[in-house]
Amino acid sequence: MSAAQSIRIAVAFAREISRSPEAHLCRACADVLVVAGAGITIMGGTAGGGPVCVSNQRMAALEDLQFTLGQGPCQDAFVTGAPVHASRLDVAASERWPSFVDLAHATGVGAVFAYPMTSHGAKVGVLTLYQEDQGDLSQAQHEDSLAVAEVLTETVLSLQAEATSGTLASGLEDAVAYRAEIYQASGMVSVQLHIPVDEALLRMRAHAFASDRPISVIASDIVARRLRLGEDPPGVARPVRG
Amino acid sequence: MTEHEHPGPDRQARAAHAFVEIVDTLVDRFDVIDVLTLLASRCVELLDTSAAGILLVDDDGNLRVMGASTEQIGLLELFQIQNEQGPCLDCFRNGVVVTNADLAAGSPWPLFAEQSIAAGFLSVCAVPMRFRDLTIGCLNLFVGPPRALLAADVTLARALADVATIAIMQDQATRAAAIREGRLQSALVSRIAIEQAKGMIAEHSRVDMEEAFTRLRNFARSNNRGLTDTARALVAGRISIDLIVATRLAHERRTH
Repeated sequence: MSAAQSIRIAVAFAREISRSPEAHLCRACADVLVVAGAGITIMGGTAGGGPVCVSNQRMAALEDLQFTLGQGPCQDAFVTGAPVHASRLDVAASERWPSFVDLAHATGVGAVFAYPMTSHGAKVGVLTLYQEDQGDLSQAQHEDSLAVAEVLTETVLSLQAEATSGTLASGLEDAVAYRAEIYQASGMVSVQLHIPVDEALLRMRAHAFASDRPISVIASDIVARRLRLGEDPPGVARPVRG
Repeated sequence: MTEHEHPGPDRQARAAHAFVEIVDTLVDRFDVIDVLTLLASRCVELLDTSAAGILLVDDDGNLRVMGASTEQIGLLELFQIQNEQGPCLDCFRNGVVVTNADLAAGSPWPLFAEQSIAAGFLSVCAVPMRFRDLTIGCLNLFVGPPRALLAADVTLARALADVATIAIMQDQATRAAAIREGRLQSALVSRIAIEQAKGMIAEHSRVDMEEAFTRLRNFARSNNRGLTDTARALVAGRISIDLIVATRLAHERRTH
C-alpha cells in the first residue's frame, strides 16, 4: 500500500466515523473508491455471518440473495480468496449466477466487484462494490480496493481481538443480529423435521428459491409460526391453518 | 575449505541449494526449530567455521537458545544469556555484526572468552537476524583457530540469516492471523448457535424466543456451563433438548 493511498483511505474513514458514532464504513468505502455502492459482509466459513453494513438498501437485497442462494460474486471471492470482477452482467455472468444477475438487473446494478478480506491467509469476509453502469474499475480503483479490503480485514480482526473470548465485538454484532431470525428459524425447522440445523437452513434456502421470496421473509414466517416446512422434498410447504 | 581458498563454483551451487532449502520450509508445514537447525548446519558446512549457534528473542523480549550445531555450543550460548555478556548479546542489542578474531588476545566479554577458549573456539562472529529495523535474534559462528572469517563468508552468513529471518517472520504473521481469524470464527459460530438453540427450544416447548433464551440460560447456569457452550452442544446434538425442558420442569416444581 502506498503512503498516498493509506492517507486517502484513512481520511475517508475518519470523515465517516466522525459523522456518526456508528462508523459508516461502507459509505467511506464507496466514497474513497468512487463507486455507486459498497457492502461489507463478515463470513465465517460454513458458519455464515452477515453484512456489517451496506451503503444502501438496493445493495442489501443483492447481498441477501447471495446468502439465500449460497452463490454469487461474494461467495466466489470468499471461497477462492481472489477478487471477482463482474464488469458486465451479461449472458456469461447470468450462466454463472442466474438469480443474482436477474436481481441486479432489476435493481439497476450494472457491475459488481467482490474483494475478499484476507490477511496472511486468514479470511474474514468480503468487500463488494456496485456500479450502476457496466464497465471495469480503473487500475487505480482496483489497487485502492485491494488496499481498502486489507484495511477492513485489519479493522475487523482488531475489533474482535478486543472482544471477550467467545463473544462477537459490538461493532460486528450486527452481522449476526441482522440474520438472527434466519438462525432461529433454522433451529425451529430442525426440531420440526428432526434434521440438523445446517440441513434445516438448506431446506429454507430451497424453499425461498422455489417460492421466489427472500430467505429473511421465509424465516420471519417460520418464527411467527405462519409457515411450516413440510417433510416433503425441498420447496414444498404446507401453510399453517387456523 | 581453508581460509585461503576462494569460494568456488561448487560452493556457490551448495549455497544456492541452502537458500532453496530454507525457502522450501515455508511451503510445507513450517517448524521454526527445523529452519534454525538447517541454518546452523548449513553455516558449518558452507563457511569456514567449526560450529554455529542461534539465539532468538521470545514474546517477552528474552533471548533463548533455539538451535546449535552441537550440545557444547548450546551451552556456550546459554552461558552468554546467563552472564549477560558475549558477542551474541552485543550483536542482538545493536543489530550489527560483532567479530573477535582472537579471544585470547582480549575481548569485552572475559567470562564468555574463558568458556569459549576452554571449549576450543578462539574466534567468534555474531550475525544479527534482522528484518528491516527489527532484530529477532542472532547467529553465532565459532572458529577453532584464532583467525577472522573471510568477508565473503560473513556476507553469505548474513544472507542465510536474512532468509531464515523472513521465513520465521512470515510464519509468525500467518500464525497470528490464524489465531485472530479463529477467534472471529469461534465468536461467530457461538453467536449463531445461540440463535439456533433458541429456535430449537422455542419450537419444542412452544414458547417465544425471549422465553427460549431464558430457558437456555437457566439450564446453562444450573448445570454450571457457559451459555455458548450449552447452545453449541444442543445444536450439535450432544445434549438432548428433552434434558433442557426437563430441567425447566424440575426448576418450576421447586419454585412453585
